[in-house]
Amino acid sequence: MTNSLLWTPLVFGLLGLVVPRRLAGWWATLGTAATLGLAIALLVGFDSGAAGLQDTVDVNWIPGLGVDYSLGVDGLNLFLIALTTVLWTAGTAFAAFREQERPHLFFLMMLLGETATLGAFLAQDLLLFVLFFDLMLVPFYFLFGAWGSDREDGPTAAAATLKMIVYTLIGSLLMLVAAIATAIIAADGGQISFSIAELAQQPLGEGSQRWIFWFFAAAFLVKMPAFLLHGWMPDAYRAAPLPVLAVFSGVLAKVGAYGFLRVVLPLFPDATVEFQEVVLVIALASILYGSVMAFTQTNVRLVAGYSSVAQLGFITAGIFALSADGADGAVLQMVNHGLVVAPLLVIVAILAERSGTEDLTKMGGMAMRAPVLAALFLIVTLATLAMPGSANFVGEFYILNGLFDSKIVFAFVAISGVAMSAYYALRLYQRTMHNRRPDGIESREIGWRDGIVLVPLVLCILGLALYPQLILSRTDKSVARSVAATAGGRLGGPPKTQARTKGESPLPCASGDACSVFWEAPPAAPSRRGSSQ
Amino acid sequence: MSATAWAWLVLLFPLLGSIVIALGFKALPAKAAGIIGTAAIGLAFACGVAALIALLGEEPELRHHSSSLWDYASVAGLDIKLGIFVDPLSVFMVLVVTGVSTLIHLYSFGYMQSDEGYHRFFSYLNFFVFSMLLLVLAGNFVLLIVGWAFVGFASYALISYWYRRETATRAGMKAFVINVVGDIGLVLAAFLIFRELGTFDYATVFAQAPQVFDTNESTVVAICLLLLVGAFAKSAQLPFHTWLPDAMEGPTPVSSLIHAATMVTAGVYLIARTHVLFALAPTAADIAAFVGLATLLVAATIALVMTDLKRAIAYSTMSQIGYMVVGVSIGAYSAGMFHLMTHAFFKALLFMAAGSIIAAMANEQNIDRMSGFGKAMRFTSITMLCGGLALAAFPGTSGFFSKDEILAYATARGGMYLIFTVLGYFGALLTAIYTFRLIFRILPGKPCPEAQELIDSGHVHHAHPFNPATGEEEDTEVGFPGAEHHIAERSLPMRIAMGALAFGALFAGLVQVPGIDEVVGKFLDPVFEGVVLSHVHPSVGAEWFGLAIGAAISLAGIGIAYYLYVARPETPAALQRRFSSLHTFLYNKWYFDEAIDFLVVRPALAIGRFADRTFERVVVDGLVNGTEDVISAGGRVVRLVQSGFVRGYALLLIAGFAGLALYFLIVSS
Repeated sequence: MTNSLLWTPLVFGLLGLVVPRRLAGWWATLGTAATLGLAIALLVGFDSGAAGLQDTVDVNWIPGLGVDYSLGVDGLNLFLIALTTVLWTAGTAFAAFREQERPHLFFLMMLLGETATLGAFLAQDLLLFVLFFDLMLVPFYFLFGAWGSDREDGPTAAAATLKMIVYTLIGSLLMLVAAIATAIIAADGGQISFSIAELAQQPLGEGSQRWIFWFFAAAFLVKMPAFLLHGWMPDAYRAAPLPVLAVFSGVLAKVGAYGFLRVVLPLFPDATVEFQEVVLVIALASILYGSVMAFTQTNVRLVAGYSSVAQLGFITAGIFALSADGADGAVLQMVNHGLVVAPLLVIVAILAERSGTEDLTKMGGMAMRAPVLAALFLIVTLATLAMPGSANFVGEFYILNGLFDSKIVFAFVAISGVAMSAYYALRLYQRTMHNRRPDGIESREIGWRDGIVLVPLVLCILGLALYPQLILSRTDKSVARSVAATAGGRLGGPPKTQARTKGESPLPCASGDACSVFWEAPPAAPSRRGSSQ
Repeated sequence: MSATAWAWLVLLFPLLGSIVIALGFKALPAKAAGIIGTAAIGLAFACGVAALIALLGEEPELRHHSSSLWDYASVAGLDIKLGIFVDPLSVFMVLVVTGVSTLIHLYSFGYMQSDEGYHRFFSYLNFFVFSMLLLVLAGNFVLLIVGWAFVGFASYALISYWYRRETATRAGMKAFVINVVGDIGLVLAAFLIFRELGTFDYATVFAQAPQVFDTNESTVVAICLLLLVGAFAKSAQLPFHTWLPDAMEGPTPVSSLIHAATMVTAGVYLIARTHVLFALAPTAADIAAFVGLATLLVAATIALVMTDLKRAIAYSTMSQIGYMVVGVSIGAYSAGMFHLMTHAFFKALLFMAAGSIIAAMANEQNIDRMSGFGKAMRFTSITMLCGGLALAAFPGTSGFFSKDEILAYATARGGMYLIFTVLGYFGALLTAIYTFRLIFRILPGKPCPEAQELIDSGHVHHAHPFNPATGEEEDTEVGFPGAEHHIAERSLPMRIAMGALAFGALFAGLVQVPGIDEVVGKFLDPVFEGVVLSHVHPSVGAEWFGLAIGAAISLAGIGIAYYLYVARPETPAALQRRFSSLHTFLYNKWYFDEAIDFLVVRPALAIGRFADRTFERVVVDGLVNGTEDVISAGGRVVRLVQSGFVRGYALLLIAGFAGLALYFLIVSS
């Protein structure tokens, strides 16, 4: 199952080269839809009671180097795979409805991108993961560079793409070195193995963990992107073709966050605990900086881009709360964010078609003759700002609750990002849809073509809003296992499994926590439930 | 059927109504949308009554039930179910909300007739009622937050309903963002409750809190203060109130329903709902009471000078909610809730009457331009007078009994709480003055041109649609606000709604006459049985003494207003000149908007500009400058991309991957 899921897009992509030109897009859409079907079958067959890998494929690939072709599905990647297939179907269909230059190559690249991304999610071998992680870069390099648009006042699409490649390639190379080093050090002269599960059995010494941790973190933080490593994002976002950007922003950023959960936490638990606060600071900086930038930008793409920086900051914070609920929330939020940012960018594309500009200050009044578009956009906006009642709220609630238990001061800072997200998301909606309509801006309802791309995505958002338990109940066990690795380290201590009773003094102040900053009752470390696994 | 089953139905109908109207926006005729919307709320009210009957059939101490549908998000030790909690307090709120909402839907049916956004309006309105019911019926703190935020959104959507007006969209944004700040307070309170008690469920939290917390322990005080942030933001208490006057940008039925009768009282409900926690944190309760008192007085002084009819009533709403907050914070729970109910009647009515008059003025809201409507619009004037009398606590009306019950309780607690009695009565004097300032300026006197037109020709004044806030003309292309205006005299649904509310405003107080019936108190008291403060009761004699003082103050206030605005109409202007700096201060609403702008908005925007213009260029891009060489080297590669190289590369890639894929397909099968 996993094998066919992984390679179906590519097979369709290759066969698509011989399909007539005008059918290339439809053929590709069929391919993504078939993959989506496989993913749904995977979802249905998933046993939510198990924490370990399911549907595994394990083949000795390069025996001499200990590299295996090993794939598997568990709670960590199940819904990310589903998300990937959903967004790719939507993005490919949206592109297929529009005229593309050199369609054969365009859609081949799209489908190659899907296979690479699915590979990164499915890989259970460290080197295989790194390979797929780098392979993702190839199709997007071409898609951004060759099908992107040059800006009048800025770098060309090619230059913007190159900037992105330079950033991510440096991260990738560091990660490659780190992956090889991990295996070699772990083998300690014995048989080398890149299997993530095996490597997690015997963590490295603390000294090696420290530097390897940062090599991996660099790659993942660039991919997200996190604060200070986001330099490639503005140019790349402005250059990228929008259907491609929708899948890129919706899925690829999550590979970074997923990498932390899959690789970093289980393999380098001591370093994770040691650098927990450093990463949390980066995450908070991403939240605040992304939010502040999002409400000053006038380019609609960049509002979406910087809001992603902030959202990925939340996700990182949830993972590095190092508690089961924080990480549960992070996984849920990865899916949620993908499900909102992709339709958001599709809507941006639709709005840009109607207004001929991507400048917020020149738009307005587009809701007038387009009530359906306005309603869909409104739902997406509300989900983006994590309106309570949406699954995004549940995700943030879990993240912040986990953070609240482990690092209360960080939780207080992070939550200010929630207020800012309300402002920038509504601002985007109002400036485009409401107020008076300037001349030259068209207010036109979406046709069925855009409808069949957007409506299913919005239905996914609504469905999850009603029942986020769908994801939480399936991810919890695997997530808890991934987080539990870190609880054995310095963070350890008896888990507090019971609520307080009267007479018991407020919880003791854990060293290193900022309890003196806040009121008398300090946070407990570890969290009551975080390490209960 | 059990009370909880009825309660689920209460939630179902408005939600269905909202969805049906929204999806049928093309298929349904406008009238049908209004009928469906009104019927949905009417059915919810009927189910609320059924729930009440089911509840009354049980022993008073057994009248609380939880019920849940499914696990909403319950993993990792968190217990978040889709659950409701039904007890006299929530049923009381359900009845007030659905009852008043039904009437306001009916009113909107007439009032919004010529507006082209009819479907959108009723869909939002039904969604609002659903959200409000979710808020009051929620069985745990997470669902409370969901309802809390939903009403915030509904409020936003309806404030900026006429979204072509920039004033409306801006006001909506302001309301939404301030309410999100309130949501955050609630979320943090929920985290803290969960950390200490390990649950979000109401029943468990309220049962365990007294066992876990010591009185005035810092944690429980912190929880209560965070809850208050939410309550104050929603209930427009200082310093989170600035959105409420701006919210008057919404259509008048919205001001009536959301920004007077129901949503803004959610904070009062929240304090009453979590009274167990507030009883454990008397410090927080006292803070709440003092904030309520301050709001009550500040808002009343501003209402004295406002010239915009709707904004004046909005400040009055703030002030009256101040009374309720004082009530539920000092322990007069059922009195506070009772005032919530009577206020819903008379304030909704006042807004409806104001809407009718504003329609007759063709959207003009400035009271300086209104006069003589007593002759021109009999029905509206009489109902407005009923609402005004109740607001001014005229002896015998509903507001008279409810307001004085709160103050009598403060007297009974004695000590420091006498401050609330004294200043509460002072607020009552201001209330009577500002209420009758409005009435005396609008109803009697020489008819203004619009009123004269109505008397002479029977035509409602017609003007090109314009924005009352800026005077800017509306673009007619839009079709909303509608070109025609509807007054109560010409619309039966509006008259029914206003008549029913006028009846309530005058006589609803009679259900709670001290020493005689006290229906509301007897119904609600079992909810508050567990806490100490509920055992403080003013004697019947003391209550009647308080009522006597209240009556005197109300009459005095009306008298002063008569002197100022009818007998000696030149005095207000003279006073204004004499105390011009005070007038300016009040007219600028104590400069709260300016202070918030200076302290919050400007710094945030300045940081944003710094980040965008300086930081991003210098630091973030600066990091890459070191790699410039790499980039220029890469430039050569880019040129290859643009040449035919890309095809060759792609082919190579494809070939490689095809080989790999094939290999694995063979090996793994």
